[in-house]
Amino acid sequence: MPSVIERALQAALTDRFHFGQILIRNTNGSFVLSHRDDEVRTAPQTFRNAEEAVEIAKYDDAGNYRPLKTAPNLRHGWRLELATLDELRRALDYFYPGRLAVFAAWKNEQLRITPLRETLDRQSGMYRIAAKISDEQIDNVVGNFCRSDSGCLRTILWKRDQHSTIASTKLPPAKFDPLQDQTTVLDGPGSATPATAIPLLCQEPCNLLVAECRKVVKGESQLSDAIPNAFGTATGEK
Amino acid sequence: MTSRSNSALLIVGHGSTVNSDSSPPTLTHAAEIRRRKLFAEVGCAFWKEEPSLRDALFLFDPESIREVYLVPNFISEGYFTQTVIPRELELNGRITKRSNGQIWKYCEPVGNHPLMTDLLLRRAHEIASGIPESETSLLIVAHGTDLNENSAAAAKREAEKIRALGKYAAVLNAYMEEAPLVSDWQKLTKTANVIVVPFFISDGLHSYEDIPRLLGIASKRSTRLRSAGRSTARQATNSGTTRGEIFQRNPHKIAGRSLFYAPSIGTDLGFADIIIEQAAKFDSEAYPDRAAKLIAKT
Repeated sequence: MPSVIERALQAALTDRFHFGQILIRNTNGSFVLSHRDDEVRTAPQTFRNAEEAVEIAKYDDAGNYRPLKTAPNLRHGWRLELATLDELRRALDYFYPGRLAVFAAWKNEQLRITPLRETLDRQSGMYRIAAKISDEQIDNVVGNFCRSDSGCLRTILWKRDQHSTIASTKLPPAKFDPLQDQTTVLDGPGSATPATAIPLLCQEPCNLLVAECRKVVKGESQLSDAIPNAFGTATGEK
Repeated sequence: MTSRSNSALLIVGHGSTVNSDSSPPTLTHAAEIRRRKLFAEVGCAFWKEEPSLRDALFLFDPESIREVYLVPNFISEGYFTQTVIPRELELNGRITKRSNGQIWKYCEPVGNHPLMTDLLLRRAHEIASGIPESETSLLIVAHGTDLNENSAAAAKREAEKIRALGKYAAVLNAYMEEAPLVSDWQKLTKTANVIVVPFFISDGLHSYEDIPRLLGIASKRSTRLRSAGRSTARQATNSGTTRGEIFQRNPHKIAGRSLFYAPSIGTDLGFADIIIEQAAKFDSEAYPDRAAKLIAKT
């Protein structure tokens, strides 16, 4: 019997759909994956093993390590051909680790959302100090660190605190809407044909954001500064 | 270990925001265990990478997965196994029953398993194949001074066990930041041959750069990458293109002696066996009757 994750993936399968920056084309149960910008280009590298997604996802176009797989910097120039749904699931788990499971839990109304303050308050060791971040600093650091066009392509489901305060007023409403494909902010004129999308959902602030909050408290981050022209503001996101 | 259709294995690693070689051994061991079809599902989670420990709470479908074996891919008990992992994964102890009925079994870290000694011996033998052990010193290198980590103690335990076998002329521990120092290896050993095995879970700056520099087989230290963050990612990658070469140049000839330098022990494919054994060991301790049956069928 397929798991809830496989069922959620199966239900989302269309002839062509997006998952983050990946375009998945489905032909009679076999799949061709590419960067969504590469639909009409001939990829110089073709792979046929789901495990090869690990290497594809590891570095960006410039060869830099990608510690955050949902950052908008998936490399171009590859094509991954997969014969089965099981292989597709494995490959998507390597490209965007854990996101399918979180999507399935959300579809089944089993996803638990954790506010940023709760995540910060339970930290220990070197991250304990991160809880001292001010609300204003959170507004700025989340607004800069999590923005889709340069930070992370996830849709934020969590709030700033238990009072349901929005995570950041610096981000557009679409950033919090699971029905929105965050990747569209990267599209220029004439880019990929729209397709249905499985959202990359964020149910709890990641360790990278916790680390950034710590840096803000310690005065080591510039991302808490509300400098409109340094990183742009919410209006910078399309 | 027999196949379990309603059980999953979760391997938890540290991961890194700057070292692209931190998580691959964990992913490789997971892929190997997945291939053996011993568990219905095999997943990974990381403190510093994705999926996060918090994501791992949703990785296994409670309808089909009734038990999750959680094996920390860590070299020893310490801050992460005793504080971070239980907190992030909301564990109540060795056995945690979730509200959805799923049971999570918190196994011991990989480095605790007795098979680790065999793995170290095998790696030492492979790296210096054909070299008489009676004329060879084996150095097991750990970090030392780790905050609340017991990796140095674990390395010491392994050295003692190997020493007791009487195979090598000498078996010693050496540390990067406390005595006996790696950099003193020429004083610490007296044999013509010396084998050095880093007792780490993955390769990275310590095994690629720091230890080779301390051993005198790499001349200079490249840019330090201690401060995590996006700004350092480029540096990590640039040094990564050539750093595995240090293991290809054995033996290193220094002062008339032959030095054999091995990759970190955690990159050994035998780790997959130990991860499986840690899950089996959990059952043998928690459910002696059931475990006897499992081991008999292995």
